[in-house]
Amino acid sequence: MLDELKKKAREILKAGDAQGVLGLKRGLFDVIHPHVFTAAEELDSLVTEPKWPLAKTARAILRDRPGDFRLAVAARGCDERAVVELIKRNQIDRERILILGYTCGSEQAKACLCSRPWPEKRVAGDIVEGIDPLADDRVRPYLEGDDRARMERWAEQLRRCIKCYGCRNACPICICVPCKLEDDLWVERGAVPVEMVPFHLIRAFHLSDTCVACGACQEACPAGIPLMTLQLSMREALRKEYNYEAGLEPERTSPILSDFNREPRPGQALPDWIHTMDRKT
Amino acid sequence: MSTDFVRTICPYCGTGCGIILRVEDGRAAATYPDRENPVNRGTLCVKGWFAHEFVHHPDRLTAPLLRKGDSFEEISWDEAIGIAAERLRETAAKFGPDSIGGLASAKCTNEENYLFQKLIRAAFKTNNVDHCARLCHAATTVAMVDTMGSGAMTNSISDLAGAGCILFVGSNAAESHPVLMGEVYRAVDAGAKIIVIDPRETPVARNADRHLRIRPGTDIPLVAGMMRHIVDIGLHRTDFIAKRTENVDELTAFLHEWSVERSAKETGIEAAVIREVAETYARSENAAIVYCMGITQHICGTANIHALCDLAMLCGHVGKPFSGIYPLRGQNNVQGACDMGALPGVYPGYQSVADPAVREKFEKAWKTELPSAPGLTVTELIGAAGSSVRALYIMAENPAVSDPDVNHVMASLQRLDFLVVQDIFLTETARFAHLVLPGACFAEKTGTYTNTERRFQLLHRALEPPGGAKGDFDILCLLGRSFGLDFDYASPGDVMAECARLVPAYGGISFERLEKTGLQWPCPDSTHPGTRFLHEGRFTRGLGRFVVPRYVTPAETPDAEYPFYLNTGRVFSHYHTGTMTRRSPFLIREIEKAYAEINPDDAVALGVGEGGGIRITTRRGSIVTTARITKRVDKGSIFAPFHFTEARANALTNPVLDPASKTPEYKVCAAKLEKVPDEAG
Amino acid sequence: MSATKNVHDVRIIVFACRWCGLIGADGAGRERTALPASFRVIPVECAGFVEPDLIIRALADGVTGIAVLGCHLGGCRFSDGNHPALKRLELLRTLLDTTGIGGRRLLIGFGTAHESHQFAEMIREFHRELSELPSPGTWLAGTMKRQ
Repeated sequence: MLDELKKKAREILKAGDAQGVLGLKRGLFDVIHPHVFTAAEELDSLVTEPKWPLAKTARAILRDRPGDFRLAVAARGCDERAVVELIKRNQIDRERILILGYTCGSEQAKACLCSRPWPEKRVAGDIVEGIDPLADDRVRPYLEGDDRARMERWAEQLRRCIKCYGCRNACPICICVPCKLEDDLWVERGAVPVEMVPFHLIRAFHLSDTCVACGACQEACPAGIPLMTLQLSMREALRKEYNYEAGLEPERTSPILSDFNREPRPGQALPDWIHTMDRKT
Repeated sequence: MSTDFVRTICPYCGTGCGIILRVEDGRAAATYPDRENPVNRGTLCVKGWFAHEFVHHPDRLTAPLLRKGDSFEEISWDEAIGIAAERLRETAAKFGPDSIGGLASAKCTNEENYLFQKLIRAAFKTNNVDHCARLCHAATTVAMVDTMGSGAMTNSISDLAGAGCILFVGSNAAESHPVLMGEVYRAVDAGAKIIVIDPRETPVARNADRHLRIRPGTDIPLVAGMMRHIVDIGLHRTDFIAKRTENVDELTAFLHEWSVERSAKETGIEAAVIREVAETYARSENAAIVYCMGITQHICGTANIHALCDLAMLCGHVGKPFSGIYPLRGQNNVQGACDMGALPGVYPGYQSVADPAVREKFEKAWKTELPSAPGLTVTELIGAAGSSVRALYIMAENPAVSDPDVNHVMASLQRLDFLVVQDIFLTETARFAHLVLPGACFAEKTGTYTNTERRFQLLHRALEPPGGAKGDFDILCLLGRSFGLDFDYASPGDVMAECARLVPAYGGISFERLEKTGLQWPCPDSTHPGTRFLHEGRFTRGLGRFVVPRYVTPAETPDAEYPFYLNTGRVFSHYHTGTMTRRSPFLIREIEKAYAEINPDDAVALGVGEGGGIRITTRRGSIVTTARITKRVDKGSIFAPFHFTEARANALTNPVLDPASKTPEYKVCAAKLEKVPDEAG
Repeated sequence: MSATKNVHDVRIIVFACRWCGLIGADGAGRERTALPASFRVIPVECAGFVEPDLIIRALADGVTGIAVLGCHLGGCRFSDGNHPALKRLELLRTLLDTTGIGGRRLLIGFGTAHESHQFAEMIREFHRELSELPSPGTWLAGTMKRQ
């Protein structure tokens, strides 16, 4: 798989389709870190392990470069989906980015609770089946039981938060300036432990329809809080009601941003006139 | 245009997280966590995430400065080195070698600290070299050497995840060493019990199973009571004590004086709770003691650590994986600065200056005679400034904000005949200098830091220092050569190589071997993989020694005129004297104004609201700051973070020292509190 | 944690769009229909105006339940402002359910200006349900300032 990826990446650079390839480099002494490869020969040291989300870095690089610079990105499925969402929100110019997609193995899919361990724009690797995160033992305890049980579980985890902003900094979709989490009006500033509910629920809700379940948030959490799990039931609701999954359809805006005519859902009637008040249970 | 991703180490705390700087055309644009670093594994705290923000700040010093009256004039490097050499030589000639002193830097690299202490010793023939470890973990280095023979963290950070009980004593790791809390919570998920001893309700305490909110300064009574109970019910590890330790009889005699009831009375903690936490600690198969400033910065700090070591040895919780004693070193390289001998009584590797065989070894290696008498500590150097100490060379330290009783410190600095300060910003200390040398920050140097778990880690230079600033390594080489020393090192790697030849425990350290994951000393040779935990089978000194902790109550406690306890410390989004964090926009936004924590009852009594102005006064000085009202502090207590130079908490602190470690009692003194009338408009 | 609460412990905030929602609420008041006294009405231009973050913040501050009243789908003064309102608020409900805070703390009521009777009944019912929910104490064990 790696050879196919390198081959494709070299072709891209040689043809001038992109001026740089963002990926992982194995340097001297076997150290691995992100790198922008600018010469085809350099790509000998391209590697695809370990998992290292790069969508947000790609956006940052493109912002720092002039408009004629095009960047190819060696991307797993999650990175590609993040890029799609960023393109939708005008954060990345689709003309300036090229996805060199590669697949994840089943070990990785399991580790990431990933249901779709492959990119659409695949140039290397074979597709393996993902897992259903909602059925996984690591996730179920946070979604089952009564209200009290769930609240205890979540509170126990979220109270460990040290307000590093790592989840926000690592999340490819969290790009807002200013960020509401930094606004004293919404989340108390300068205090640890952080106000659990405002910080984490505001962030989770802001991502409700954009989260691509890449797991960067929880990988960046020093306290090991299962942050991705916070998003899973909202993702599932969008899938069930609108057949929508963030990161898959570059041309489709989030369904919750538009009306029921354009983005209907099963069982949602739109009468012109109603006799009685409707309580939406 | 180019983008570079450079692997280096965070410049803030002693956890030593691996970071990657994204450099765009010579500018540090962003910081990412290094997913491959074994210490932090892809995570960072808020300071680490924004480590790049201060690097290009306009306040960065870019040229040597010479004092002309009340202001500074830019001069060339040749002039600057010339002046430094001349004035220091002159002072030594007139007043003797011990009239010179050097403050090395817990922020600079190992190589730079090695060169610094070598310069002071070889050029000036004095052992007057010390650094800010004096103010924090000197008690650790003394006490743990007394008991075990080595003053370093016994285990690795990741070992915490395997402990069944973690006892935090005076450590607010959630704010001071945030990333390592991950290991603590991993332990909790596996069933570990967390016990916190702290007068204040820190975030660690809030998530603990037990929080013992002791009366300030009563740590020894508490630990004594715990040990007494452990012995009374037979939970002490008799075989470990018999085989691996000495002097237990003296300890048991001491414990006779401390019934659990007496301990309860002295500490304010219920006897039943003391018994419970003692049993939790003793019964665990593996237990860890994590401690920090809350216990070292006392007049009996060294004795406090003796007590902790005694407790660990009593229960056999040392010398194996997971169990041990974890002093959390504060600065990014304070462990390294100590390791490199930036201390008045030892050479690199803690080899004594007073030992003739050791001295001879260094004299041969450095090709010079060396002084035999141990030198003065930081607190003594500053205290003697103007009398027996006439000139100081301060590298990247800020005693005008970090030392106790800063008004006195500033007065002392002004009495020096010659003060040269090397730093990246014109700090409060640098303002008193006759000569200022512009150094480099972490992103502009290659070298090593040693984190709190004894891990040498490699920094890679990502940027050039700004303007005419030079790397501290380069400055030291220039100075060294101007004193006729053989400071012709091609690179910092050569300095490490020299050090490795002189210190058996670092014999296997070389830059190539550090690239991937760093190495934990002792690492005696080039095939040795480094040492995860110490004292396996035998203690560094042979047998572990029980040392009776000599309990002394705090030097200054509340009285009628000064009725409050004043405690000082750190907060999560700022670092020490704020030179770096308070020039980082994100961190400033998180906590901008100076504040001090006061209890709601006290706030009501004073008529002060949240954010209201308050004046805190002690016998040393007075500051005006804002009130943060919280139950985290007890009624009658104040907590003042020391990061705010405009409301310097250290204008208030007591410079009384622990006689054994010479560490000031930052954690306890007496204060009075007044409301400051609101400004009109 | 007691299951039933003193009626004064239940605090409800009602965001009412000033076209249908508010007029309906106002009507209930004019009719002097019996209503629990523990609620405050905040008029908004449209239900679509209500940021879900406001609901999160209100819950963190100890408000027991939040109601959002707007016009019927198809009857919105601004044509379809209430569509994304409904979508977003229901998604928020999912999040509140996941975290155990309880989606039941959010009431979404779409009606017309003439339905003051139904409005009153809905609020009474909501109040009753909220009285039976346990106090979300754990969540509010927040930071030092709010202790």
